[in-house]
Amino acid sequence: MLSESARMTTAHEASFRIQYPNSKPRAARIIALDPESAALVNEVSKQKWNGAKFFTSLSFTADSGPGTTDQGMKAWLGDLAGRAMDLAGEVAESDFVVVITAAGEDGRAASVIAAACKAHNKSLIGLVVPKDGASEEDVATSLDHLRPHTRMLVVASGRDYIETMLTALRA
Amino acid sequence: MLRKEQNDYLCQTDPGTPMGNMFRAYWMPALLSEELPEPDCPPVRLKLLGERLLAFRDSEGKLGLIDEFCAHRGVSLWFGRNEDCGLRCPYHGWKYDVTGQCTEVPSEPAESGYAKKIKLKNYPLIEKGGVLWTYMGPPEKTPPEPMYEFCTVPLNQTFMSKRLQECNWLQAMEGGIDSSHVSFLHRGDLSNDPLFKGSAGNKYNMQDLSPVFEVVENDGGLLIGARRNAEDDQYYWRITPWVMPCYTGVPPRGDHPIHGHFWVPIDDENCWAWSYDYHPTRPLSENEVNAMKDGKGIHVKYVPGTYRPLANKDNDYLMDRAGQKAGKTFSGVEGIGMQDASLQESMGPICDREKENLVGTDNGIIMARHRLLRAARALNEKGITPPGVDPEHHKVRQAALLLKRDVQYKDGAKEALKVKPGVRQTSV
Ligand code: FES
Ligand SMILES: [Fe+2]
Repeated sequence: MLSESARMTTAHEASFRIQYPNSKPRAARIIALDPESAALVNEVSKQKWNGAKFFTSLSFTADSGPGTTDQGMKAWLGDLAGRAMDLAGEVAESDFVVVITAAGEDGRAASVIAAACKAHNKSLIGLVVPKDGASEEDVATSLDHLRPHTRMLVVASGRDYIETMLTALRA
Repeated sequence: MLRKEQNDYLCQTDPGTPMGNMFRAYWMPALLSEELPEPDCPPVRLKLLGERLLAFRDSEGKLGLIDEFCAHRGVSLWFGRNEDCGLRCPYHGWKYDVTGQCTEVPSEPAESGYAKKIKLKNYPLIEKGGVLWTYMGPPEKTPPEPMYEFCTVPLNQTFMSKRLQECNWLQAMEGGIDSSHVSFLHRGDLSNDPLFKGSAGNKYNMQDLSPVFEVVENDGGLLIGARRNAEDDQYYWRITPWVMPCYTGVPPRGDHPIHGHFWVPIDDENCWAWSYDYHPTRPLSENEVNAMKDGKGIHVKYVPGTYRPLANKDNDYLMDRAGQKAGKTFSGVEGIGMQDASLQESMGPICDREKENLVGTDNGIIMARHRLLRAARALNEKGITPPGVDPEHHKVRQAALLLKRDVQYKDGAKEALKVKPGVRQTSV
């Protein structure tokens, strides 16, 4: 007689996998840290996504209320429509956050976003994408900016990886 | 999540499929040397990439890998007589040499030259490091021989086993780069298994269950670094190399031999999980070899006379619920190899990736699929040789090391990740 495992692992039984959804859409926040990656994020945002929100700039205003940085500044994310959205609020509503930087560009803003992620217990993924003419040192600089803050850090050799990764994560 | 078309593209390796073409660009482990131990020994049937083949060693010790079936009326040549420099079909006596060339058709006059017109498909079979390797692609594109370190060290420093895994190759291979499962699935074995226990690094694994990952593309594939906190302002790094399409290395522990895998498609619903163990600078000890033969570490015990694991789906993998409850094993299945295999087989013959929910720390897997798709497309559409064909890409070592927190792992581990003949592995 066939064991339960033997029967259950046939192609026939595999075709009976339950077809109901097993997850709800997750709120992804994708933040470009520099102008170079902002252009890429802008492009990717035109695809169809499951509620992912894309941001292409980070700015600050003086403030000392809740959700402000150590320096008494409030951080704002610029979305594609040109609106300024409260960083702390966006992170609080998210399920995970992705920061993207082009090799060698200034990715130091990651620390501000990481602080917000930490405050709200959200995981932060960092992605370094290539830039024309960037050197190994440029990649290293980007890694330095991101490494202390990210739970997963990826160095991609192609810009198409942004879309691949977000699709895989159902963003 | 991976769309169905992409999943099919990656999982199907039969002749003529895009991924099948890609696998046919590489030398692949086909058999263990022990399976064809001497001239005129029994021939061996095998299936690779959806093709039924027969391997034999002729009277002069020459190796052949040919179409399994006799060109006359389709009998399996596994029943053949291996003698006098060829394999003779037992049905009507047609005879073939190691290249698949028919050398005798007894019913026809020898002078007629009939035999010359009959030739079975054949592939090269070379012996290296206790493994018989084949290359199933176009002969004019035959790459240089494989240079993985396990197959270049002296034979007394290396051990290889293989086991049948009853699922698609990709879900098996993905297990090899899925670094975040180790602290769960294999939890019990870090401290118990003779080929794992006692290394200083194990404590970091157990102390810090949420490692931080770094995935970097390199020439032949990927490096997946997992970083855990260690004392004195240091990180404990475990770095897993993946060489395309299906070689994965497990970061070492202490002075234990280094191990890793090849995941070779048999057909779309089965693969060979090859498991190597070697030491770069010393012979394996008798105890180590005995443990490997006994199915410890990443090796398995077999159904006698086969390469099928003793714990398999027909006996529910010898599930031990009491052991699971007591924490002896995390899943109730014994042995690291079968812990992986049982779960991967349970996904079904070909995993449905439309239903999965990957998280950020699965980026090693996401990137590997991405690179496979990219390379297979480049090969099929533009004839570009995929990464991992160049033997230089094989010369990468897995590593486990402590680095100061401000040191780049790419710099700090640079030398550790290189194969250096005569130099010990970098391991904690
Ligand atoms: S927890 Fe990863 S497959 Fe279930
Ligand atoms: Fe495993």
